[in-house]
Amino acid sequence: MSGVAAGIGLAEARALEERYLMRTYRRAPVDFVRGEGALLWDADGKRYLDFLTGISVCSVGHCHPEVVRAVQEQAERLMHVSNLFYTEPMAQLAQRLSDSSLGGRVFFSNSGTEAMECAIKVARKHAHRRGVSAPEIVSFEGDFHGRSYGALAATPGLAANEALGPMLPGFRAVPHNDATALREAVGEDTAAVLIEPIQGEAGVWPTSEEALLAAREACDEVGALLILDEIQTGVGRTGSLWAYEQTPVRPDVLTTAKALGGGVPIGACVTAPSAADVLEPGDHGSTFAGGPVATAAALAVLDVVDDPVLLRHVRELGAYLCQGLDALEGVSETRGRGLMVGVGLEEGIDAAAVGADLLERGLVVNVPRSDTLRLLPPLVIDSDHADRAVNLIGESLLAFSGR
Amino acid sequence: MSRARKPSDGSDKQRALRADTAERLEAIVEAAERAAESVIDDAEAQARRYLAQARAEADRLAEGRISGLEELIDSLLGQALSLRQEAERLQATLGEAKSLIESGAAPAPPRQEGPAEAEQPEPPRLRAVSDGEEPQGEGEGRRSDAAGARLLATQMAVSGSSREEIELRLRNRFEIEDADAILDAILGPEEH
Repeated sequence: MSGVAAGIGLAEARALEERYLMRTYRRAPVDFVRGEGALLWDADGKRYLDFLTGISVCSVGHCHPEVVRAVQEQAERLMHVSNLFYTEPMAQLAQRLSDSSLGGRVFFSNSGTEAMECAIKVARKHAHRRGVSAPEIVSFEGDFHGRSYGALAATPGLAANEALGPMLPGFRAVPHNDATALREAVGEDTAAVLIEPIQGEAGVWPTSEEALLAAREACDEVGALLILDEIQTGVGRTGSLWAYEQTPVRPDVLTTAKALGGGVPIGACVTAPSAADVLEPGDHGSTFAGGPVATAAALAVLDVVDDPVLLRHVRELGAYLCQGLDALEGVSETRGRGLMVGVGLEEGIDAAAVGADLLERGLVVNVPRSDTLRLLPPLVIDSDHADRAVNLIGESLLAFSGR
Repeated sequence: MSRARKPSDGSDKQRALRADTAERLEAIVEAAERAAESVIDDAEAQARRYLAQARAEADRLAEGRISGLEELIDSLLGQALSLRQEAERLQATLGEAKSLIESGAAPAPPRQEGPAEAEQPEPPRLRAVSDGEEPQGEGEGRRSDAAGARLLATQMAVSGSSREEIELRLRNRFEIEDADAILDAILGPEEH
């Protein structure tokens, strides 16, 4: 008997979820069974245009042939030995990530939230070396850094859930883009300022350059680290390999995940040389992280994405997409950069209803808040895909704005 | 005995006829063989002509491609040289940017109240463009802006942004109308 689940269909999958899965998700009633490029197919054979890519994971498109080949070849050769030994794809990927960003060292993880755990450890230990006994990490309200306890504590919106308390101490939040409040919050006990260059889960809100510059300067004044959470913005999503490359700051630490593996779980925490030697043997570790299959997949993804022609395409197509969306009735604004786009809807239009309607029409999008659609299409889409998405959103908004 | 000779007459005629037929057949075969030889000779000659033409055409094409390849190699060498020069400029600019970052990231001296802070010469570092809460000298603001603009331009150049894209960002973000000096330092003088 094969380990691959047979085609059981949506109804049975829902029944099994109802009986066996923890109720942590509200899933849309679709059972996807196949993906290729920007397209998905459900169990009934209906085709969808995917403008979500599993929350910015399949940025090179579903089942990209190079990623599939890398995974197949590596899986046939060696799948896992642990971090007690060397494996070549891991070493090569570390070099590639460091050389393409901050130039220091890399710690691999299995997800973004785990990459954040590493970054938090680096920041705290770095602060202890400065003589800080109770280090504090400052982040912005609306930031989303993950759901493990460390990352959760740095995610103000979720950390307020007392039912999960007590939270990890040593975290503070200030209003998003409030440079003055940020400067005031940073002091001698600050270990790090932790920022998303563009807040994703909150609804695609770019962090202003004033706030980024204030954070950089405040960190420099006290010797704290500037950590950029590039889990969603990184790996080409905004039209440069890393989002910070389009800002006037350079972080000391960055975290990446999501698109890095092209669908295979992997994350990484990358440091600048100044923070490269903070963690030492015994400080951190992971059984699976940096495994050969995941790192081989990531190398294949970077082969595709780290290409000036593709990155230019992302910037240009992002502008083209926003131009089309801005012209639609019912759209109040578009936000973001490259192909990370938030679509603000006019008052009175329920984004959740529009999202559900778009799914019916064959377009997969995300609804991070009641007035916003979030679009995270594959970076490899063309203008025809963008036109089709704009048309479908336009038709849906027309139907809802008339109600 | 004329009756007895009749068969003998017929037999002679038949022999003569057979001999005549054989001669004719021999002549036909000889003619056919000559014709065949001629066809073979013609075919061989034509094949030789075709072969010679094909060789000449192949030589001509190969010559053209070699010439094209030589031009391409020259062009690539030129581009490589240009890229190398650009990389050297970028490296120099990155070195400057690194110095700026490192000077800004160095641990700050202990905070002091009042005039002592103003007496400390500040290293150039990144600073927000406008800050109504904290007093900031005009000169210092311009220095920070310049450093931020230069770092932004450098990072965008490294990430593959075009001169026009960088120029637009510098104009929108830092209100720099004439960014040529920064762009020339990073990307090299614009070719006209």
